[in-house]
Amino acid sequence: MKKPSIPLGLVFSQSGPYAMMAGEMLKSALMAIDEINQSDQFDFVFAPHLRDPGGVVAAYHTACDALIREEHVDHIVGCYTSASRKQVIPIVERTERLLWHPARYEGFESSDNVIYVGAAPNQHVVPLVRHMLDHISDEVFCIGSNYVWTWETNRVIREIVASAGGRILAERLLELGETAVDHIVKEIVERKPPVVFNTLVGESSYSFMRALHLAATRAGLAIPMLSCSLCEPELKLIGSSASAGCITSSAYFESIDRPENRAFVARWKARHGADSNLSVDGQSTYVCVMLLARAIRRAGSADVAAVRRAAANHRYDSPQGPVWVDPDNNHCFLTPRLARSVPGCQFEIFWEADAPERPDPYLSNLDLAAIGTRLEKGNDTVTRRSNHLRVVK
Amino acid sequence: MTRPSPFSVRGRRALMVMRDEREISIVRRQLNRLGMAICEHDPNEASPPDEAVDVIVLDADTIPIKSDLAAAWKSRAPIIALIGTETPSRLKWLLDLQPASFLVKPLRSAGLYTALVVAFDFAQRRIDEAAHIEKLEDRIRSRRVVFAAVLQIMRGHGLSETDAFALIRQTAMRHRTTIEQLSAEIVAVGGMPNRTTRTA
Repeated sequence: MKKPSIPLGLVFSQSGPYAMMAGEMLKSALMAIDEINQSDQFDFVFAPHLRDPGGVVAAYHTACDALIREEHVDHIVGCYTSASRKQVIPIVERTERLLWHPARYEGFESSDNVIYVGAAPNQHVVPLVRHMLDHISDEVFCIGSNYVWTWETNRVIREIVASAGGRILAERLLELGETAVDHIVKEIVERKPPVVFNTLVGESSYSFMRALHLAATRAGLAIPMLSCSLCEPELKLIGSSASAGCITSSAYFESIDRPENRAFVARWKARHGADSNLSVDGQSTYVCVMLLARAIRRAGSADVAAVRRAAANHRYDSPQGPVWVDPDNNHCFLTPRLARSVPGCQFEIFWEADAPERPDPYLSNLDLAAIGTRLEKGNDTVTRRSNHLRVVK
Repeated sequence: MTRPSPFSVRGRRALMVMRDEREISIVRRQLNRLGMAICEHDPNEASPPDEAVDVIVLDADTIPIKSDLAAAWKSRAPIIALIGTETPSRLKWLLDLQPASFLVKPLRSAGLYTALVVAFDFAQRRIDEAAHIEKLEDRIRSRRVVFAAVLQIMRGHGLSETDAFALIRQTAMRHRTTIEQLSAEIVAVGGMPNRTTRTA
């Protein structure tokens, strides 16, 4: 018997400044859809309808409007940037549809018509800043792209660092897509900050990491770098040696050693080639489609209200580990992890949270007093306060 | 004392003066997400509860314009007005309440955090301004005393008005006191007081 077909909207930019990442996300969405369509676990199939806004912010609204009116989709998976999500939210709220959003973002949002599957700020930036304060330095040089992701991430860094008695040594911003980075690289090499926090995105970040690697090597310096967004396909674009050594916070790395992930990576490589790599956003897009399919199965319908109810607290053992939607804010319980990029374009995970962490999009439970313990500096050694972090390697 | 940041809203107390169940559930949900404490009050009941709150979310449409109910909400915690009707008569009524911020109905989850931050910032500024005005009023009140002290020093030391005032100001700075306080002492003792110890 032929299974009923449920239309599913996909909105990913196949050109424009973040086409590479959006392409990875689309590949993952299609892989998840194929797996669901071929599985006897689901008594329906997804009929994907792809719209390509070409990286143009205003085109997202048009794309979603067309998906809803012409293809009659109730559910849309997509968007990479916050700017594009903010375009889509009014239309999904007005028409009572659901946007399944894979990318991590800066938080301070909680729409009833969005399921936020990417990490909230308490799951990405907070663990990284905590690690920086505990193990590297409380003085940090910030560089980022001049938009909301950097502005808000830097605000959080500033707040935590200041409460720990540290300081931001500099905050340098580059326009999105800007690749002229030499003046900032020169400044960093001259000032030798103990650590650089990098919130640049796309080409700006790749150029910066290559240039800093070159200049620092020449000057005989090793300056640690931190990132909340770096992923495996980007390591490859940057180059094996220039991309190594970056401490990265993410809910997903290709190197996660779980049976679900090993199988997932094997399926991915069988589909896309042995030299292809997964990314946090790609994996998260896969999780989006799976969460949606499981919620539809549980609800017995694709109806938005029923699916939203069915998705709440429904645990899925995904490649990145257990994931479930917190109905309090429509964000997901995820396991934060920290890793170091190593030559060969991979990440070596050195810490993960004991259990999936409750999403806190407004950082309303951020306890600065608990994080902000001043580093005790004496005779060259830094006394680290004990903490609940568990080392996994 | 460090002033509370308007961005950290956890633990603050909100009073919801609303009727519409759908809107109440949206506001309640969002306040819960933000970690705020909530109490509720029926807008048609005359007297507002006595307990102290940090912010009032008030549905402007629920209170008749020609009634005394609005007066009860004046000069309490900052008010976030929920607005459905934009007629000048309703807005004039609203302006009397001096709302700290507002949201236009129908409500959605986005917007309330902004309204809260603006309201808390507004309330803090109002406290700061009141303190500043009180200080200025104190100064105005003591102008007469300062004037008398300047006259005293002019006579006693044979100085011009400018020099006499400069002497008082420098002495006040040295003793870490205010011009007004030192002036009061000058008037009391009939000349520059002979201080050996500094006051804190």
